[in-house]
Amino acid sequence: MKILSKNDNELLLLAMKEDAAAKGDYMLIEDRSRSMIVQVYDEEYLSSQALIEDIIKEEVVNATSVEKLHDPLNIGSLSRLIRDARIFRAKIRASVNDGKLSSDITWLPSRVESRIRRLTMKELDSFLGRHGIYPIPLGMTGDGEEFEIYAEDLDGKLTIITGKKESGKSHLSKLLIKTLVQHGAFVVIFDLNSEYSGLGWNRDGSPSSIHRQIRMLEPGKTLKFSLNYCGKGAISGMLKNALDMPAASLREFFRIWDWLENKQSLSIDTIGQTVSTWNTNELVRDALISRYHVIQSSRLFADDGFRFEDVIAGGSGAAMVIEMGGLSPTVRRMVVELVLSKLADLLERQAIPPIFLFAEEAHLYIRDTYWEDIITRMRHFGIYTTFITNQPDAIGDGIYRQVDNIFLFNFTNDADLDKISKVSLADNDTIRSIVRTLPQRHCLAIGKAVCDLPVVIRIAMTEGLMLGETKKFFKK
Amino acid sequence: MSTQLNSPFHESLSLGDLGIVESVSGCLTPKLDELNGKKIVFNCDDKNMIPVDGWGLRSDPYSATTVTTIRPIKENALVAAIDSSSVKIAETDDGSLYGIKCGIATAYAGRALMHFKIGPVLFYLSESIMEHSELEERLARLVLLDDDFAKRLVRVRAERAVQKELASHFTNSIILVDGSLKTSVFEDRQRSIRKIAENCVLRKNMMIGISKGTKLKVIERAAAPLAKVPGPAFIEVDMIIKSLIRNTVGSNSMVKLENHSPVLRADIVGNRIESLGMLIGNDPVAGGYPETLRLAHHISTFTSTEMTCLRSHVLNSYDVTELAGDDIRRSLLGSISV
Repeated sequence: MKILSKNDNELLLLAMKEDAAAKGDYMLIEDRSRSMIVQVYDEEYLSSQALIEDIIKEEVVNATSVEKLHDPLNIGSLSRLIRDARIFRAKIRASVNDGKLSSDITWLPSRVESRIRRLTMKELDSFLGRHGIYPIPLGMTGDGEEFEIYAEDLDGKLTIITGKKESGKSHLSKLLIKTLVQHGAFVVIFDLNSEYSGLGWNRDGSPSSIHRQIRMLEPGKTLKFSLNYCGKGAISGMLKNALDMPAASLREFFRIWDWLENKQSLSIDTIGQTVSTWNTNELVRDALISRYHVIQSSRLFADDGFRFEDVIAGGSGAAMVIEMGGLSPTVRRMVVELVLSKLADLLERQAIPPIFLFAEEAHLYIRDTYWEDIITRMRHFGIYTTFITNQPDAIGDGIYRQVDNIFLFNFTNDADLDKISKVSLADNDTIRSIVRTLPQRHCLAIGKAVCDLPVVIRIAMTEGLMLGETKKFFKK
Repeated sequence: MSTQLNSPFHESLSLGDLGIVESVSGCLTPKLDELNGKKIVFNCDDKNMIPVDGWGLRSDPYSATTVTTIRPIKENALVAAIDSSSVKIAETDDGSLYGIKCGIATAYAGRALMHFKIGPVLFYLSESIMEHSELEERLARLVLLDDDFAKRLVRVRAERAVQKELASHFTNSIILVDGSLKTSVFEDRQRSIRKIAENCVLRKNMMIGISKGTKLKVIERAAAPLAKVPGPAFIEVDMIIKSLIRNTVGSNSMVKLENHSPVLRADIVGNRIESLGMLIGNDPVAGGYPETLRLAHHISTFTSTEMTCLRSHVLNSYDVTELAGDDIRRSLLGSISV
């Protein structure tokens, strides 16, 4: 392999047929005491008008009659080598001076004397000093090396997993959840497609290694809260954000709440009775009654409800899967509001340790304006969010600006690629070229987890039971 | 200003004062008035152009009279067309390196059969090599002095070698050659065109040399009646050609292989009617030119990739040191392209 030319921060490398490199591979260009780290992001044929004309001419001639060759100098094989020659487009990522990684990429390696070789992940990690205590094995790199990130890279960070449908997003999120739980972390999952219940089971039907640490919470059944546990703050948030209650009605509701609390008879039933007899404006009463009926029909409240502290006090690591598949959009929003408010309250009081939140297709149950609040405010309390979505444009630019890690699966749609490449942490060319051709269960990891050097990973198969697949009429 | 520069010429000096204008116009009589009433075809990039519908009939002292139509003979025979090309690859301080490629395309019963690519093969011609060759001394010097002669030497020799083998191995076949059948000073005595023609006759082969263009304007005019004949036809032009060129082989004709196609010169060893009839009966003709000959041309030309590969082969296989080259014409004349 040889350097052909340089344009901005891009090098063109000339490769012959036997020089193998895949999109995403890192190459080390060694030039005396200095080295340059580049990443291949695209591959194309060495092409010229003359070469194309030769190929066409040969094909036309061979289509008309059978060819017999006498080529004593074996020039034909050289010609075939040239036709198979390729150009690797590579982005300059860093340089190595005296064994130390440097961002000084202002120098130019020699075209004649430089030696180009593939950089293994181990070598790259040693240059980057990428290490941690709690590894999360994700799978393999392009050349079959095992690849892992560290749980510390997700701790206190905002992560986005995105890619088109059936590209392997849920696969990765399950892998992350399982390993986080194994490392003793507490994870709350908003499960929209009832697929995370499989975390507790292996494919053969046996219980998984985290079987006992999985807590399935079905709103209205196994997930109910007491009004006292939720507190005025969480209920206020729910009424305001999920049920769009106007401020005047909200004030009246809290007068009722305080009155009942003073009487020590706060419950859903007593709220209902009080609202109907409360001396207030008829419009306000109607607003209160309509919200009351929604709350009552959601069955989210009971005298003795779920307590996050109880699960967390249980020991080392747990995944609380909140199943939201069968809920109406309003109830979904109520659940999310209650859960997030309560978690923020508990974290503020340091009643629980920080938790990891996995939100699948969050745009379906959280309003746009509320997202940024989750990212900025909740992060300080200790809720570290991972968004999983197949609609990158559903996530606002404000969130992308704060993102620490992105796991990008395949996208072929230009509009999606445009969006991702504009807001991503990596350059446009790399995103567009690599992501477009990623096979299923392969992703491009970008961000702090990979020390800002994009890496292509083949996500490992999980032993867990895969649920949430699309139900089909025609069975194969 | 002029006094400062001390110019030897006065500013009003003109070409007329120097007598150059009279001298140039008197060096040859232009006679441009003779152009009046003439039909004209403009040349392009130094290439000879022919009028699409011929020059038309006019009285010509050489005008041949008999036009013979050609009927395809549906008797299966092998047609083998040969073409070659040579290029100069490199130069050393005492010689030059040439490359040659030959192509043989075959057809049978009106269908393309197979083709053979021979080469590229390299030949190095230097003073010491030419000293030990069987070439006549004056010819050897000429070859060393002029690249075009050297290229012609390797091409004629290689082409004749192929023609000789085909003529000696095939029977009842047609051997098609690009260009006229004419003896060359560069031929090897054992593989001369005359010997090849003899072999053809002995083995009942026919040999046809087809020229795409001719510098003999007179035979173009003589072939004018062919334009009026529909379908394949020929006119005998032996008298004209033999009177102008001495060393041709076989009979000479001007042929048209298809309706509304160009008229080509064909030198034939064998019976004219039979050879041409067998040719159009066994070789697909497109645009008035045999397909085998067209294919042989395409497979024998050097491509730019092959040239790159040959350079690479020379650098890798022989202990040579590459020197930087410079295009002297470009350096001296500049690179203004219009």
